[in-house]
Amino acid sequence: MRLTQGCFSFLPDLTDDQIYKQVQYCLANGWAVNIEFTDDPHPRSTYWEMWGLPMFDLADAAGVMMELAECRRVYGDRYIRLSGFDASHGWESVRISFIVNRPPQEVEFELLRQEVAGRSVRYTTVRRPPQHVSP
Amino acid sequence: MNAHTGTVSGKERYRSGVMEYKRMGYWEPDYVPKDTDVIALFRVTPQDGVDPIEASAAVAGESSTATWTVVWTDRLTAAEKYRAKCYRVDEVPGAPGQYFAYIAYDLDLFESGSIANLSASIIGNVFGFKPLKALRLEDMRLPVAYVKTFQGPATGIVVERERLDKFGRPLLGATVKPKLGLSGRNYGRVVYEALKGGLDFTKDDENINSQPFMHWRERFLYCMEAVNRAQAASGEMKGTYLNVTAATMEDMYERAEFAKELGSVVVMIDLVIGYTAIQSMAKWARRNDVILHLHRAGHSTYTRQKSHGVSFRVIAKWMRLAGVDHIHAGTVVGKLEGDPNTTRGYYDICRDDFNPMKLEHGVFFDQSWASLNKLMPVASGGIHAGQMHQLLDLLGEDVVLQFGGGTIGHPMGIQAGAIANRVALEAMILARNEGRDYVHEGPEILAKAAESCTPLKAALETWKDVTFNYQSTDTPDFVPTALAAV
Amino acid sequence: MLDLPHARSADASGNEAPLPASFDLRNEAEAAGITATLQQLDQELIGLKPVKDRVRQIASLLLIERIRQRAGLVSSPPTLHMSFTGNPGTGKTTVALRMAKILHGLGFVRRGQVISVTRDDLVGQYIGHTAPKTKEILKKAMGGVLFIDEAYYLHRPDNERDYGQEAIEILLQVMENQREDLVVILAGYGERMTNFFASNPGFRSRIAHHIEFPDYSEAELLFIGELMLRERGYRLSAAARKAFVDYIALRRTQPLFSNARSIRNAIDRMRLRQADRLVSDLDRMLELSDLETIDSADVLASRVFGGGPVVDGQAAGSAK
Repeated sequence: MRLTQGCFSFLPDLTDDQIYKQVQYCLANGWAVNIEFTDDPHPRSTYWEMWGLPMFDLADAAGVMMELAECRRVYGDRYIRLSGFDASHGWESVRISFIVNRPPQEVEFELLRQEVAGRSVRYTTVRRPPQHVSP
Repeated sequence: MNAHTGTVSGKERYRSGVMEYKRMGYWEPDYVPKDTDVIALFRVTPQDGVDPIEASAAVAGESSTATWTVVWTDRLTAAEKYRAKCYRVDEVPGAPGQYFAYIAYDLDLFESGSIANLSASIIGNVFGFKPLKALRLEDMRLPVAYVKTFQGPATGIVVERERLDKFGRPLLGATVKPKLGLSGRNYGRVVYEALKGGLDFTKDDENINSQPFMHWRERFLYCMEAVNRAQAASGEMKGTYLNVTAATMEDMYERAEFAKELGSVVVMIDLVIGYTAIQSMAKWARRNDVILHLHRAGHSTYTRQKSHGVSFRVIAKWMRLAGVDHIHAGTVVGKLEGDPNTTRGYYDICRDDFNPMKLEHGVFFDQSWASLNKLMPVASGGIHAGQMHQLLDLLGEDVVLQFGGGTIGHPMGIQAGAIANRVALEAMILARNEGRDYVHEGPEILAKAAESCTPLKAALETWKDVTFNYQSTDTPDFVPTALAAV
Repeated sequence: MLDLPHARSADASGNEAPLPASFDLRNEAEAAGITATLQQLDQELIGLKPVKDRVRQIASLLLIERIRQRAGLVSSPPTLHMSFTGNPGTGKTTVALRMAKILHGLGFVRRGQVISVTRDDLVGQYIGHTAPKTKEILKKAMGGVLFIDEAYYLHRPDNERDYGQEAIEILLQVMENQREDLVVILAGYGERMTNFFASNPGFRSRIAHHIEFPDYSEAELLFIGELMLRERGYRLSAAARKAFVDYIALRRTQPLFSNARSIRNAIDRMRLRQADRLVSDLDRMLELSDLETIDSADVLASRVFGGGPVVDGQAAGSAK
């Protein structure tokens, strides 16, 4: 299953040049850029692990790419995402977020149904254990 | 035109009988509106032979303290404070016989946090006033002091994005079609296919409530099965606007509660339920962490004609105060009414914290929103993937793009339709952020993205350059050099 | 404008317009802003002819390099790291700013900002502290110029386990591998820089351009002083000018002399003494000329004439 969170998951995986341009777009907007990684990409898993602090005050995306390379070296087997954070009044939130690294075998979820009163069903999305391990 | 007519004062003012409105204190060309005044701008079309100043003063009078004759009981009140004051009347550029009347109302005339009271005051009686041929409420300036008495959007754009974990691009939706006749089970199929394909939201149409072919509980149960399945299949948050519009508040609360119990992130109401019901639902939505979608059903009956009714920009302002999270605000390029400049004005009203006066967008006043949440505009009706560059350019990124026919009508099926829209959108955002001239290179960018996406290729071929190019009826009337009040 | 890493190689391989056969050098230089930047440098720095000549040479080299690349006569991306040696107050920081502008104008750096640091900004206090600190600075400098003042403090020959070594290693790696991403300028006193390069051959080999900043002559310092006074709306009386000439001659021989910076500090103190002198006599009527004139007494009261060194360090530290 291809996890479709983030801004560009329906496009082919971004090349480093494409990532560089998106990061530069964030910097040009005055946003801080944050690198996060996780092995728990559940749709409600908000807090991925932070790879260091968000990067403030950079002029050029090469600095972010340097950290991303390092993060991939250590956590290349996990999901890694970049986000741009806008501290201006009225936003003070993430303004863009996209996946820049996927594990060799993507996560699978399944739906657990608990039948409750009448025809109602309580749904829980859980991670399906890997069916087979890639060589 | 804006000359004094001499307001009568003292004993003379309250002598029994009929007196011209403009001499009763409803025409005060020297009046400077206070920061706390509510200001309304009306387009007044007097009957032949009626003095425009007198007609405008009458609008001020009839929308505040006046009645057709002098009443002595005025003297038991601080009447001068409560009188609405028309302080400026301009000829409408290019529309002979029509006048823009600026009228200021003291804040004490209104109940805190009540759209019902605000609208009953401003548009309650006066629209049927015989000396006028027609009357239109064009715009309002709502003072910060009044804005602060309203809840505002239950969730707001920022928190909606945080909850859904969707940033940096418009959200994608589709209205389930056909509007009428699908059973709950069939209806849920459309929802599942569209969400699994890649949309963020699906939507009930305005008249999907609880009919013989599909009662509301059936719809809710099947829709939530579809939403949850699609969520597990994509690993991404999904939602469907469950329309809880019903005959009574009790019914609406019941439906909304059920939607919440089933885990829906969003419910939907129609504008026709009325302002009070909308405010009640906004409170319910805030209390229950549910996004509130508003369909502007019925608005065109009074917003579309330029000479009579209420402009949609006023409705948009009222709805931001009332507290809905989504509002249909036009597409420009789609099948429904929408002049680009006027529509731009609506979008600004929904999303900005401060709207500067912009006559070319039909915005007559500076309006501060005092940090009230932002309201997400929704573009819906006759739009398709091939217009993605235009939509992004005209509507920006904080918008829900609803591709109903443009998803469900895809020749390869609903999932393919959803994929086409999502790929087109992401490719366009990518290009925009890279600094490309995406508006002009749009077709090229889409064609390139379609090379590795057959569904998009099929969509582009099917709808090619379908557009709805008709003359808009509701366009701003302004002279670029004209000065507006305040 | 080069706005992306590797954009040049992409251009070369892409189906670009055919290469021009001839180049209008004047247009090229003006388009890159070199002409204006060199003029600016000429105006804002007094004297320093050898430095200006070197800057002009480097600018010319880079301009030709850029044109050669466009003409398809490309070699690998050039090494652009530099060292600026000379005593304090000789204009190294100002030249670094202009150099960044030239590099940016020609597209050798993408953004053109100058990040100015010293050892304390790069080197940490405990194990594991230095690498993040150095990287933090490097990230901010990406796309621009990293100016390391008194670079020799990074290296402490007496302490093998000094954390400075870690910073040096990271710097060397980035200077080698990310030549397209940033330009490093190492700066400091001439002699100490020579020793530093001798014990750190890695730096020596990665530096392409050395610029020496000579001390100002006494005449230049006087000119600078009078210019600074004019900018502040003051002038020297004839006697004061004579005293100032003596002052400069004396001050140069004393410790902690830092060229233009010392002159600026001297002027600030002269203004203080002038104000003090004027206010000490509250009963007199002031003329406009009193307000703008520095008198010999304002100069001669300096401790420089008493044989003791002035405390220059404090003011110098805050004068960046």
